[in-house]
Amino acid sequence: MEAHAPGACNRSPNLPSISSGEPLSTETLASLRSLIINPSTPAVAISSLTETLTRSLQLSRDPHRTLKLLSDLAAQHPHLSGLVFDSVRSNSLLSTESTRVAAESLDLLASISERNRSLTPAIEEIDDRLFASLCFSPAPATRPWLIRNAGRFGVQPYLLSSMFLGFTKDPYPDVRRAALDGLVGLSESGVIDDGDMIRGCYFRAGELLNDMEDGVRAAAIRVVLAWGLTLMACDSEAKAYWSDEVFVKICSMVRDMSMEVRIEAFHALGKIGMVSQDILLQTLSKKVLVTTKEKKSLAQCSDEQLEVSGSSVAGAFMHGLEDEFHEVRKAACHSLGTLTILSSKFSGEALNLLMDVLNDDSMLVQLQAFETMHQMATFGHLKVQEKHIHMFLGTLVDRNTLTRSAARKILKLANLPNLKLFRSTIDTLLDNLEMCPQDEADILNVLFHIGQNHGKFVVRIIEEVSQQMEPVSNGKLGFDNVRVVALLVLAISAPLSQERNCSIPASIFSYAVTYLGRISHALSDIIHQDGLLNYLSQCSRSPGPYDIEFDFRLRGLPGSIAMPLPQKQGGTSEILSPTVKEPREAGTALVEHSLDVQVTKSINVVLEKVKDIWPFVQAGYTTEGLRTLRSCREELATLTSGSVASSATFAFTTQYIKIMKLLVKAWVYILPSRHIPSSGMGDLDFVLGKLDVRLSELKSTYIRLSKEEELHILELMLVTCMLKLSKVEICCHLGTLRKLSCTMAHAEYLLQDGTVEPSRFMIEVRNLSSEVGTSLNGSSCNPSLFRRALESFSLKQLVLCGGLKHIKAGLEIPDNDYGHPLRFVAGLPVGIPCHITLHNVLVESRIWLKMTVSGTDDTQFVYLDSTLFGGCDDCRIVDFTAPFYKTPKAFSFTVSVCICMEYLSEDVSFLKRCGPRHELTYLCREKEVFLSMVK
Amino acid sequence: MAIDSLVLGAGQEVGKSCVIVTINGKRIMFDCGMHMGHLDHRRYPDFSLINNQTLTCIVITHFHLDHIGALPYFTQVCGYNGPIYMTYPTKALAPLMLEDYRKIMVERRGEEEQFTSEHIAECMKKVIAVNLKETVQVDKDLQIRAYYAGHVLGAAMFYAKVGDAAMVYTGDYNMTPDRHLGAAQIDRLSLDLVITESTYATTIRDSKYPREREFLKAVHTCVAGGGKVLIPSFALGRAQELCILLEDYWERMNLKVPIYFSTALTRQANMYYMMLISWTSQKIKETHSTHNAFDFKNVHKFERSMIDAPGPCVLFAGPGMISGGFSLEVFKHWAPSEKNLVIMPGYCVAGTIGHKLMSGKPTKIDLDKDTRIDVRCQIHQLAFSPHTDAKGIMDLVKFLSPKHVILVHGEKPKMATLKGRIETELGIQCYYPAINETVSIPSTHYATAVTSDAFVQSCSSPNFKFSTSSSEHSQGSSNSKSIPRLRVSDDRVAEGILVMEKNKKAKVVHQDELPLMLGEKKHQVKFAYCCPAHIGNSQENTSLPLSSTNNDLLQLFSAKLANELSEGNIQHFGDHLQLESIHVSICSNNDCPYRLSDNGAEEQREPVFFCCSWEMEDEKLAWKVISICQKPTLRG
Repeated sequence: MEAHAPGACNRSPNLPSISSGEPLSTETLASLRSLIINPSTPAVAISSLTETLTRSLQLSRDPHRTLKLLSDLAAQHPHLSGLVFDSVRSNSLLSTESTRVAAESLDLLASISERNRSLTPAIEEIDDRLFASLCFSPAPATRPWLIRNAGRFGVQPYLLSSMFLGFTKDPYPDVRRAALDGLVGLSESGVIDDGDMIRGCYFRAGELLNDMEDGVRAAAIRVVLAWGLTLMACDSEAKAYWSDEVFVKICSMVRDMSMEVRIEAFHALGKIGMVSQDILLQTLSKKVLVTTKEKKSLAQCSDEQLEVSGSSVAGAFMHGLEDEFHEVRKAACHSLGTLTILSSKFSGEALNLLMDVLNDDSMLVQLQAFETMHQMATFGHLKVQEKHIHMFLGTLVDRNTLTRSAARKILKLANLPNLKLFRSTIDTLLDNLEMCPQDEADILNVLFHIGQNHGKFVVRIIEEVSQQMEPVSNGKLGFDNVRVVALLVLAISAPLSQERNCSIPASIFSYAVTYLGRISHALSDIIHQDGLLNYLSQCSRSPGPYDIEFDFRLRGLPGSIAMPLPQKQGGTSEILSPTVKEPREAGTALVEHSLDVQVTKSINVVLEKVKDIWPFVQAGYTTEGLRTLRSCREELATLTSGSVASSATFAFTTQYIKIMKLLVKAWVYILPSRHIPSSGMGDLDFVLGKLDVRLSELKSTYIRLSKEEELHILELMLVTCMLKLSKVEICCHLGTLRKLSCTMAHAEYLLQDGTVEPSRFMIEVRNLSSEVGTSLNGSSCNPSLFRRALESFSLKQLVLCGGLKHIKAGLEIPDNDYGHPLRFVAGLPVGIPCHITLHNVLVESRIWLKMTVSGTDDTQFVYLDSTLFGGCDDCRIVDFTAPFYKTPKAFSFTVSVCICMEYLSEDVSFLKRCGPRHELTYLCREKEVFLSMVK
Repeated sequence: MAIDSLVLGAGQEVGKSCVIVTINGKRIMFDCGMHMGHLDHRRYPDFSLINNQTLTCIVITHFHLDHIGALPYFTQVCGYNGPIYMTYPTKALAPLMLEDYRKIMVERRGEEEQFTSEHIAECMKKVIAVNLKETVQVDKDLQIRAYYAGHVLGAAMFYAKVGDAAMVYTGDYNMTPDRHLGAAQIDRLSLDLVITESTYATTIRDSKYPREREFLKAVHTCVAGGGKVLIPSFALGRAQELCILLEDYWERMNLKVPIYFSTALTRQANMYYMMLISWTSQKIKETHSTHNAFDFKNVHKFERSMIDAPGPCVLFAGPGMISGGFSLEVFKHWAPSEKNLVIMPGYCVAGTIGHKLMSGKPTKIDLDKDTRIDVRCQIHQLAFSPHTDAKGIMDLVKFLSPKHVILVHGEKPKMATLKGRIETELGIQCYYPAINETVSIPSTHYATAVTSDAFVQSCSSPNFKFSTSSSEHSQGSSNSKSIPRLRVSDDRVAEGILVMEKNKKAKVVHQDELPLMLGEKKHQVKFAYCCPAHIGNSQENTSLPLSSTNNDLLQLFSAKLANELSEGNIQHFGDHLQLESIHVSICSNNDCPYRLSDNGAEEQREPVFFCCSWEMEDEKLAWKVISICQKPTLRG
């Protein structure tokens, strides 16, 4: 019986004839697929297709191709997904003999229900028994898939947990692995609270630590950790016992032959938040320490067990830090950092090992070691000893910039026990200064911090060298020597230390004033220039003991600075300090301001991390860079702000991090080709286009940007232009060149007064654009020129000064939604009532209302005269009825309305007759206005 | 079947490694080394104990003379003609070593030569080079495979398998990486025997980082003060490791002081290292495309005229023990200045200048009657060793978990200690035979069996059971460890039954198939015991009419059981109780065959009897039930 799919053939001649009595052939299915994914296939044809396919489901003996088509169909045409869902469910596919078909149908059902939330209850009705019977069927091929996807089918957690536990006995390693991974997921969901079950899972995973397969062993470590943590959480009395037990168990895996397993083990070790000190100490020594034995016998375990635990823990971290693979060393270093918080004795011993890691041949490991030390210092566990100092100071004069700066970062917090160490540290810093003049600002900053922490030593040193600092000396050390500046910084920091009554010659403070610019640049994260000047002049007047106020811009690093409270002296000082004691009594503006200062400080810490990714990005570690950015974003999200003032700063930073993400992605393309990832980075044109839009938005929608901030953005814009130009494939060179020259002109304007030095990259671009400018008309410019210029770009830290304002707008269309449309008569204008709020919009800016008929290019602009608005600069509000002229001949339509601002500094003009002449920046989200014809 | 290991060398001593292993009729010689401490017949293994025609092959683990030194003698003089296996680097570097040794023997000591250069060349022609993890089929039955061992460039552990018997011979290995070589790496194998070195059978070594740090600090301080550093060392291995360390430090610290290599052999060796990059550590392999770590930037050729040139420098010169040659010449010039530094990177034989320097700080050394050297320079000792320590040996043995371990290449008392640890801590049988002793161990032999379809079917369907069992430490302590633990078991594989049919072919069948095959019915062994229950108060007992007691008693008993037993699910079926396979009913038959007569006779009153029956697997539980039943106060 031949029958054509009803109603389809006349519209779509491609639709093959289908006989309803037989299963569909492969060719037919292929052509059906092309119909399904073609968006212009008429709806009628699609629905008849659906029918055909569901019918063939019953006929076909091996319906997995049909299932695939149905799943495509459901994805392409969501309105049919309910139908597909029902037909698959009602067909007896789930109970068929073929596990594979059943699993595929389950997959289809689950993926439909994930897209269509209304079907979620239906998928949960699928019997647990069905799922279990599928898992237990003899076909092992689908079992790992079923186990991995168990979470999608709403199976009861207790059934799941016993099934997972059972399948850890499976002879197939991938099933075991999937089951173990499933157990990790279950423990995270926290639904299992039965003590027997928890212990059962934990001990079963413990047995699998000896599995023959690497992957299973690695997964077993994850389970031991996850369920071990659960055990610790639910048994608070025996928490200490369990944490030690888990720790020892995982420690026994650090000598595994598989690198994957070792990395997993070290990662896991760092996540155990509680371990007894003896066990920790044992991890640093390969010899089994006596104390471990004694202590363990107190914990009432048999002698045999204690011997084993001692030897399996022995030297775990030593092995980790000596490992052949830098990934393992890095993981070991990282978890060492989290464990050093637990015990200062352990931390002290670990430092002996860590100092040697500074000599590691992988830079990544070295930096991780610094990070770990920094963590130790933050918790006050870093006690530098004499035997370490040679190695440590060596890193201060390392060739690598990152190493040097990481070492200095630690010095800011370090506590040096004696004068000898202090002296050699200062000497090495001075050597560093002479060798690498580019580090000057950072070194001066470090000296200032060290000085604050060791006032006594500073006084001693200054006594010895004050002769050299005198302007008239025997000529050996000139007054303009960087060394002198460094010593001056050290000297002026002393009064801020605990050692209040130190005697620094008053003249020194006067000398320091002559270097005010240089010093305040270096200390820009600590104090404003004015504050510094004020401080220096006060110090030079009083011979000490000092009781001087110091306007900390930011409160330094935790616990490092004993900060004097501001005491009014003649009311000269501008209070910037965040320690305003009772905010309610002070003016609200002041509170706002101080909050802003606080927030800006923490944001700057995040931004510092953003800067730190650049060397990685340049070295081709793109994924690391992106990962850091992601974590920065998460960190930013945790800094909640209540104040209006700081919300702009937040918005700015979020936008900035997004931009950096795009830049990192774009940068991949100028790396040497072996770094280009095969996929996942997106098309370059697309990325650059997005980058361009985001940057213009950043530049035009924030006001009160400082000159440095603005230059930073301009530099990024230049980079974007250069990236565009350096690609041969991108053809719109002329437009980009115009943009380049205009951005450069803006930058030159900012640079002209000479207070800010242009970066090397800017200078390169300046040279290049003058070169290119002469041959502007010819498209002959060489992409490699631009590429070379890009090589000189290096990301500097964006230091926010706070006080940013965000230009934005709010748009409300009152009483309008799908059910209450505005009425119109076709061809006659209609008034759209708008309630508009503008924040921080200047009077001179040109604001437009953009209205576009949805689904067309029909756009109309209405100019908003800012004189209409009431309120102050910060917030203007107006109710405005915007006329919309081009009402179409339709029963109903929607208009998207939004508020835009002309981006005045950009001279790329649109050739529109009425409307804005420059590029636009959107100030709010588009708003849909529903209109319907008057009947 | 057995594996016989005849230790021809390095039994309870270090030197002339040589072990002959016979597995299932195949004889393999592992290593063919010479002893550096002897000059008489003890120098070589006693080859007369074996018939070299019966050897299947020789396997050489690495190029050190105590592992390869006797090879030319054995092949060319004793006339062995079979295949010899070693790794590619060993094949490349071994002739250098052998030739160097032969020259020293003949030219310097004027000894009669044991083998000639031609012998070496001829011997090397018989060598078949292998790659790591490449399975080599030596003949129909014997497979060998090399695994990375660290130690020196090209060192390997060898896995050998004949039939079902398998073993690993480790040679020398290192479980921690150094600057140029990785750590030993091997798969999890199922082994009958591991023959391992045990040079450091009791030593546990600290991290080598502090020693590296001290070395760098000493060198840096010396050159910063304008001094010259002399590092007497042998050309292969140690020199490259130290040089990588220095080169890396130079790079980071931006030092420009030149580093020199004196001998041509070292530069030749560096060439080999550069070519054999795939045998080095991960880091060197990863970076070699951009920079070959053995392509030393700061290293230059040293000319004799430069000995007295001013300015700091670092010099690697042979021989390692300053026993003569160029290192002695340089030492004569440099020792008198206190600015200079001599670093002794390894072991020195007694009698050499190196040994004198290491044992105390002499101020003067008399070279001969006429020459006396003033020693004012600084001396730094460096103890790097490419051998694994005791912990490494334990880690490897634990990872491989073989059935037997044989220790070679170590000192007797220390080996005894290690043997003790392996046997007690790991529970593995361990031996350390002396030279020319043979150890015989049983080997694995698998029998093949066909399987029935029903058995395969049952294997592929999961069939797991959960049970609670108390953990091992239940007695004595009362803390959390004694809580019964949930255990899971999958019975699908265990349920097969091995049947030897008439045609002698072994077959595994499913248990349900067995009665069918044998044409028999399934019998089940059941146990039964009719036990008297002691009921408490007599008046209460009599007050109950007999007819109602049965049910009541069972009810009572079931409550009692539920109270006292932690496991199992008690079901009450009116006339009997069921707990797993235990069936309990009240017995009214006075001649019950399961009743023991003496018990009841002593009782004055008529007791109630519970007739219990159970299957084998519930025996323990059944006895618990019975003991509860026999407790005097059943009724409270």
